[in-house]
Amino acid sequence: MKKMAKSQAKWMQSTLAFLCVVLASAVGFLSTAMADETCMSPYMAKIVGQEDYVYVWTLGVEGLGDEQDKLVTVSVNPKSENYGKVVNVLSVGGRNEAHHSGLTDDRRYLFAGGLDSNKIFIFDVHTEPAKPKLHKVITDFVEKTGGMVGPHTMYALPGRIMVSALSNNVDHGGRTGMAEFTNEGEFVAAHWNPTDENLRGAIKAGNVADGYGYDVRVLPRRNLMVTSSFTGWSNYMMDFGKMLADPEAMKRFGNTVVVWNLHTRKPKKVLEVPGAPLEIRCAWGSQHNYCFTTTALTSQIWLIYEDDAGEWQAKAVGDIGDPSKVPLPVDISITADDNGLWVQTFMDGKTRFFDISDPFNPKQTYEHVIGSQVNMISQSWDGKRTYFTSSLLGNWDKTGDADEQFFKLFTWDGKQLNHEFTIDFYKLKLGRAHQMRFGAYSLYSQMPNSTDTMLSQVE
Amino acid sequence: MRILNYHSLIILLLAISACDREFDDDTPLPDSRAARAEVMVMADGWTPTLPYEVPKPGTYTLPKITSAGGGLVLAENGEVLELESLFGDKIVLLTFIYSSCTDLNGCPLATAVFYKIKERFKKNPNLADAIRLISISFDPEHDTPEVMKLYGAGFEEGDPQWLFLTTASEEALKPVIEQYGQMVIKEFDEEGNYTGAMAHVLRAFLIDRSKNIRQEYSVSFLHDQLVTADIKTLLIEDGVLSANGN
Repeated sequence: MKKMAKSQAKWMQSTLAFLCVVLASAVGFLSTAMADETCMSPYMAKIVGQEDYVYVWTLGVEGLGDEQDKLVTVSVNPKSENYGKVVNVLSVGGRNEAHHSGLTDDRRYLFAGGLDSNKIFIFDVHTEPAKPKLHKVITDFVEKTGGMVGPHTMYALPGRIMVSALSNNVDHGGRTGMAEFTNEGEFVAAHWNPTDENLRGAIKAGNVADGYGYDVRVLPRRNLMVTSSFTGWSNYMMDFGKMLADPEAMKRFGNTVVVWNLHTRKPKKVLEVPGAPLEIRCAWGSQHNYCFTTTALTSQIWLIYEDDAGEWQAKAVGDIGDPSKVPLPVDISITADDNGLWVQTFMDGKTRFFDISDPFNPKQTYEHVIGSQVNMISQSWDGKRTYFTSSLLGNWDKTGDADEQFFKLFTWDGKQLNHEFTIDFYKLKLGRAHQMRFGAYSLYSQMPNSTDTMLSQVE
Repeated sequence: MRILNYHSLIILLLAISACDREFDDDTPLPDSRAARAEVMVMADGWTPTLPYEVPKPGTYTLPKITSAGGGLVLAENGEVLELESLFGDKIVLLTFIYSSCTDLNGCPLATAVFYKIKERFKKNPNLADAIRLISISFDPEHDTPEVMKLYGAGFEEGDPQWLFLTTASEEALKPVIEQYGQMVIKEFDEEGNYTGAMAHVLRAFLIDRSKNIRQEYSVSFLHDQLVTADIKTLLIEDGVLSANGN
């Protein structure tokens, strides 16, 4: 056996040089563009076929149903007898300003945050995908992080979740950071954003390092982590109309994007991106070293890109609608092939499709009114199914008849959206529909079963 | 035959590593799973040459993530051992593999990178003695101690010590992989029959002398230069290396 081992090692060494040439062409031939359910972490297992469920993190509304925040499970597989129906509702007790959610890298748990209560609810979505269970609640987010407030993006890293925050417990303004938790919800580390007073080793590309936070995304092959900036608790919990009329409040919005060393978690450069850059979507192509973000207040598409010298830069590359009318871009979604970007604008309830095949020159090719207001979008791996929800923030949503709350599915044929079904979240007394995440039996080596139950039966 | 095929894949990966300059650094390795699974576990990119600057050891911290798990494992000679006891007082690099894995971005890559790390530290006996590499199979049905012995042949000589372990059964394996959050997806055909194939997210774990997990590597960060920097960061923390990494 020992002789065999030595001869194997020797053969291995002598074979290396020969294989170089062969592999160079083989790898080149086989390389393909990587894609996602458009906004998932690259560390995560992906649903490349038909999703079975969409989990909708939903804000409870006073005077409606049980008034509590809840995780609503919608059956979306056309083969299911409950297709297009709510099959489970899991209320979490009270209202927390439910906002964003994110799956762990193994997709066994869904972390869902409350921007006001600072709680993070961890749902088990793998044991019974049709009926998630509340596994654990993190109640000491502020204490563990040293004063961060408003857990926002939940982003999967290997064995961990990175949680970006929106605010702090000192002035409830926008200065904040990120915190890491294990997939079991145990605190690992906190990373505060660079500020003018403490750049934490970063350099400023512009004049400001505001320390604000919002989204977080990564490009592992470039060792890159990117964060954006929104506003603090004092604004996001304020009545929308009141805030717009308050000049001081309107000054308290983020104007930066920060690029970080992903491996060491150290900030490298603060880029100036005025007007509250929100969602970040990084391209998937193997040589596409760029990410997109959109600015809520100035209604622009910005490209965060690596230049020929290897430096990360920010550039405004296009307008969204008429910026003077403040259409308020909210969620965005990049297509699997990096050629398209969906952009929702909250005020006019539209979704817009931009051709981004030239990332420096996005061109709008399509638009469609989804409802009186629209916020989030989730598209399937192949881009053929796009799901939309309506709520932005409890105190920012429209009022009266314009306050539609829905979950809608449209199919996309590459030219136009075709409506499949709508679930009225007010009619079902569920609340304000916000973040969506996909589930599938095949993720857990399971086959579909007959345990689906429609909402009427649950009730 | 399966082991030989597997070794061919590892050689393939070592070859990729050995011909750095022949490649476009951004070229990802192919993902062979895309065509055959509804659910795809995608690698997040791996390049033969680290396409960015290697961080200087000791200039950053590696937070304690969680305690490293234990459980009963089988050594190559069939002896039943407690996994934690095999950590000793070493800095441990641990990964999960299965010998019939044919995905270039999976187990063969892990083994190829471990091999390169072993080669790097082999040159410094003092450091090599402070490190241990462990590969554990998550296919106990096929990967008996004898198979793992054959699998590890050629990689075991000299320090750092490299152990090739398995478990007695699926039941014995389950608590071990669960503690490390190692996801394994069995693939089923349309009739619901197990195809025998397993998709998994490649993970490797850096464990300190106090048996805490200090880093968890995905494909893109499982690179010998980066792992070496992290190991040296822990060695600096332990006082085995000076702050300048010497």
